[in-house]
Amino acid sequence: MSEFFDDDNYNDGFNEDAYEQGMDLGLWQQLLAYTLSYPRDVLILALCAVCTAGADIAFPLITRAVIDSVGRGDGSFDPYFYGALYFTFVVILASSVAGFIWYGGKLRTHVSHDIRRDGFANLQRLPFAYFDFRPVGWLMARMTSDCERLSNILAWGLLDLIFCVTVMLGIACAMLYMDWSLALIVLSVLPFLAWLSMTFQKRILKSAREVRKTNSKITGSFNESIMGVQTTKTFVKEAENLRNFGHLTDDMYKASVLNKVQAALYLPLVLTLGSIATGLALVFGGLEAGWGSISTGTLLAFLAYSRHFFEPIEQLAQWFAEMQMAQASAERIISLIEAPANIRDSQEVTARLQQYQQNSSPEIAIDGYSNALTKIEFRGVSFAYDTGPKVLDDINLTIQQGESIAIVGSTGGGKTSLTNLLCRFYEPSSGEILFDGIDYRQRSLHWLQSNLGIVLQASHIFGGTINDNIRYGRLDATDAQIVAASQRAGAHDFIMKMDQGYATQVGEGGSKLSAGEKQLISFARAILADPKILVMDEATSSVDTVTEAYIQQGLKALLQGRISVVIAHRLSTIKNADRILVIERGQIIEAGNHEALMLQQGRYYNLYTQQSLTEFARNQTHWQPGV
Amino acid sequence: MNDRSKAHMLWHYSQGFRQHFLLAVAAMTVGYVMMFGVPLVMKYAIDIITAETGNLPPAFLEVPSRWLSSGGTPSHLVYLLVAALSIVLLTIGAGICLYIRGRLIAVGSEGMIRALRDRVFHHLEHLPAEYHDRTDTGDLVQRCTSDVETVRVFLAGQIVEISRALLMLLVVLPILFSLDVDMAWLSLATIPLLFVFAYIFFQKVKTLFLLVDEAEARMTTMLQENLTGIRVVRAFARQGFEKEKFAEKNADFRDLNNRLIKLLGVYYGLSDLICLSQIGILLIVGALWVLEGFLSVGTLFAFITYESMIIWPIRHMGRVLTDSGKAIVSMGRLAEVLAEPVETQHESYPASALQGEIAFNHLSFSYSVDKPVLTDVSFHLPAGQTLALLGPPGSGKSTVAQLLMRLYDYDQGSITLDALPLSELARKYVRAQISIVLQEPFLYSASIGANLLVGRLDASQAEVEDAARAACIHDSITGLPNGYDTRVGERGATLSGGQRQRIALARALLKNPPILILDDALSAVDTDTEARILAALKARRSGQTTIIIAHRLSSVMHADQILMFDKGRIVQTGNHESLSQQPGIYQQLCQIQGAIQAQIEADLDIGVASVDQRIVVQSRE
Repeated sequence: MSEFFDDDNYNDGFNEDAYEQGMDLGLWQQLLAYTLSYPRDVLILALCAVCTAGADIAFPLITRAVIDSVGRGDGSFDPYFYGALYFTFVVILASSVAGFIWYGGKLRTHVSHDIRRDGFANLQRLPFAYFDFRPVGWLMARMTSDCERLSNILAWGLLDLIFCVTVMLGIACAMLYMDWSLALIVLSVLPFLAWLSMTFQKRILKSAREVRKTNSKITGSFNESIMGVQTTKTFVKEAENLRNFGHLTDDMYKASVLNKVQAALYLPLVLTLGSIATGLALVFGGLEAGWGSISTGTLLAFLAYSRHFFEPIEQLAQWFAEMQMAQASAERIISLIEAPANIRDSQEVTARLQQYQQNSSPEIAIDGYSNALTKIEFRGVSFAYDTGPKVLDDINLTIQQGESIAIVGSTGGGKTSLTNLLCRFYEPSSGEILFDGIDYRQRSLHWLQSNLGIVLQASHIFGGTINDNIRYGRLDATDAQIVAASQRAGAHDFIMKMDQGYATQVGEGGSKLSAGEKQLISFARAILADPKILVMDEATSSVDTVTEAYIQQGLKALLQGRISVVIAHRLSTIKNADRILVIERGQIIEAGNHEALMLQQGRYYNLYTQQSLTEFARNQTHWQPGV
Repeated sequence: MNDRSKAHMLWHYSQGFRQHFLLAVAAMTVGYVMMFGVPLVMKYAIDIITAETGNLPPAFLEVPSRWLSSGGTPSHLVYLLVAALSIVLLTIGAGICLYIRGRLIAVGSEGMIRALRDRVFHHLEHLPAEYHDRTDTGDLVQRCTSDVETVRVFLAGQIVEISRALLMLLVVLPILFSLDVDMAWLSLATIPLLFVFAYIFFQKVKTLFLLVDEAEARMTTMLQENLTGIRVVRAFARQGFEKEKFAEKNADFRDLNNRLIKLLGVYYGLSDLICLSQIGILLIVGALWVLEGFLSVGTLFAFITYESMIIWPIRHMGRVLTDSGKAIVSMGRLAEVLAEPVETQHESYPASALQGEIAFNHLSFSYSVDKPVLTDVSFHLPAGQTLALLGPPGSGKSTVAQLLMRLYDYDQGSITLDALPLSELARKYVRAQISIVLQEPFLYSASIGANLLVGRLDASQAEVEDAARAACIHDSITGLPNGYDTRVGERGATLSGGQRQRIALARALLKNPPILILDDALSAVDTDTEARILAALKARRSGQTTIIIAHRLSSVMHADQILMFDKGRIVQTGNHESLSQQPGIYQQLCQIQGAIQAQIEADLDIGVASVDQRIVVQSRE
């Protein structure tokens, strides 16, 4: 659905209209660096463009020579010589055309590849705060359509620039060389044509943008009509939806027709201006030819040039307008590539990483500190997303090795924020989080993440086989280790029932698996990774009783022997935890084990009572009396 | 669906636009005649200058020239001025014709596509729910957008290209043959070769185009997976692995694309070779013939100009014809969607307002033959009463609601609304009488206010807020930065499940129909809020028939009638009092609530307990 986020259809703070006037050359210089990193190819491309332009210019000159030679009628016409000459240029042109398509294409694909590579690399570094305000679709649009659009400009635009300038300069020179006064007369049309082209191309591109915008709205509308079919039917909104959709298709119709009519108007105007140039060449050139001051061949060459000279203007105007229109895209891409990764290893940590590069002792971590992890401490931790209100307020908490923590509380109370901080997906706004007494900002991010296992509420499954998905936990795991992990997670049985066992393709996003099966696979993945800390957001989705039993088993295996912090929904998980934290409005309001908290008869007592009833009702296999 | 019926479909949608296309062809013909007049004028002008005898200037040059020269022999200047003016006028004339063509084609093709889009959308809205169940959303959206676009490009672009090339040939051939038969044959020499070469080439690379598309799809899929799963990537510190994986897909796409471009480079190079050699042969042989006096210089010039006007569109034909193949496939995919039968629409609307009495009589239903969803379900709900449906997931509770809304048609037994058979009432009528709130409600990508107004378009702001208050969501909405104007849905703010449920409830309350169905609609709302909402609902309710589908005892306790479902059958019927007296699951539920209370009391005394285990033991007894 990346189409939704094309151009200014989504308000992301980049205003397209603001870029339409003028040109930010610095922006393009930055991007042009991508093209110029292939100097050899750019050079060959330029050479091909110049050769093509040269051959283009040569043909009317050869024709001229042939006509003049024939016109003299003195037997000096040598068909073999001219044939060979002409054919030589045909070969030059054909091979340089092939050459510039090769190298232009190569540059385009390489530039878009490189922009995407850098964008992707930065996306892997950027903190989660970056993703909070940018939907996946928005990022996808930057990495796909914007990349293609810009690489087109950066390769083909460059090529056309060289080609057009060479052709125009060449033709102008050839004309001036043959007869400067006639040349100036023909060239007098040029400024009008340039102005006309610029004006029109801008309008055409603007209406084209309107078409694209409306088109993505139509896509959105189709998507919505399919996703929301039940709601539409139950609210009997068919007629209204159709009416709204009718407005969209009306807009689309108007915008498309306008765009085409502009183009239909532009071409005849250019042709007319061109015909005036031809007419001028014919009248003045014809007179001169009649007087004998120029040859017939020259006249013909002028006539041919007057047709060719104006074609590059169209192309140049088109690119120029496209560049103006694409500035917002350029800005977006650069912002994505250069967005600073706020959460990263400090210089100090990087230095230590260098220093301990050679270390191979298992007790010493890559950043030189101890590899062991016995205690996590939150000390006066407060947190707010960006400039928003505080979602966590002065949290103090110590977790010892092997301890399991269950977090309960209402939605929006700060449970997820707490785990996000622990994983260093975000860093505290104030206060500190200490790992064995050292602020985790002093430790390597990679070290922390390698020791961290995480299981999300909606289990994320990658396309590929079941095996691939489990192996994600430890890339160098053997098949036997994968099977062992699956067995402990309770996933092995259902996997073996699938057609191709571990080699079964799970479909895009795991579409071929049920919610319960996805959970079991994500358990196996985490067990295989064998992290020191496990952070989990327990899934709430209802699964059938058999799967539920497997999940209980897997969960037990998963939590065993590690520091675990679970946002818990199941009674068994909550009760089995060493310590339960009740978090409301950003604060830990109750803490202790199940029995102690029940005794308090506070918030936990209420939550627990409600949950027991709900869960009991939900977990009944049979509702028939007496079963 | 064969090609003929696809053509038939296009023909059908061209209704009302056929005259546009016809006139466009006419305008194009006139335009090309004028455009091809230009080289002819040049030819005569050149012939006059080079003083080729035996070739008297044609009347269109001679007459105005003589008139300008007051009857005397016109000078070169006069001839040239007339010729130059003719060129400009012919170009303007051709330009006007081309503009008219462009406009007509734009109106015709865009009009047809608008009709097609509206038709497809209309069709989607009226396809039965069952069709949407078995169809992949992505594929369907693809058909409605990309396939329509392919057809549009075909109509607006490829048809024009093909007719342009054909018309050009049609107009230019008589001119060429009238100028010089031998030169005409010579100038056509390589055209069949060029055409066949272009066609075969693009047929061959068709698969490569597909491969490139697939490589791109693989890359974007991987990108999307990475971005949606970015937390998992970080959690396992797999950034390096992901970068490698992406690099592979990224490079794969690049390299395949490059391969395609290389082939295209070869193609354009070779076809340029053919095209230009053709012009070269014309030039050299023509020059020899000029030398021998068979040909005037002007005619040679005209031939070269004509050749360069027609040869490039022909070179382009191979590409155009191959792309047209895609349009045929797309039309087939669209026709498939449009051929799906829509919901039947012919039933009646009753005269009087609905009271809301519901009855199921021995109703059985299944989505597919081998899996019965509901078996012999019977109940009677008088108007204004509340019915609660309880049961484990998959026991058929939601199906009852869906059947009631006529989203599906039942096969055995009957359902009546106010004693009228449901299957004879118009679907739209039935749905207008019922509000349903689903567990995972769908919100349109619009403002919250607009989403609420879906319930009733003409509701006042006060009514909207009133409904929002009843659903306990008003305060949450006003707490958002933009209040009721906050955008939600695909591109909007993210709301929690509970918030979405409550917005959907407010929307349903605003509609205020005789029947309200809550299908596990408050599952993500905490119990305190749920109690407040239920109280508000009770206070608001004025003779509304209500069906509550839920898991929680607290949600259903106050219902007039409670049905216990299991495996598609009703296993117990009654109200809270009667059911809690009968041995059965409901009684167990009640006992457990009591037991938990008692247990907790006991625990408090002892101080330590294993409440959960005891509950489980009890429930198994």
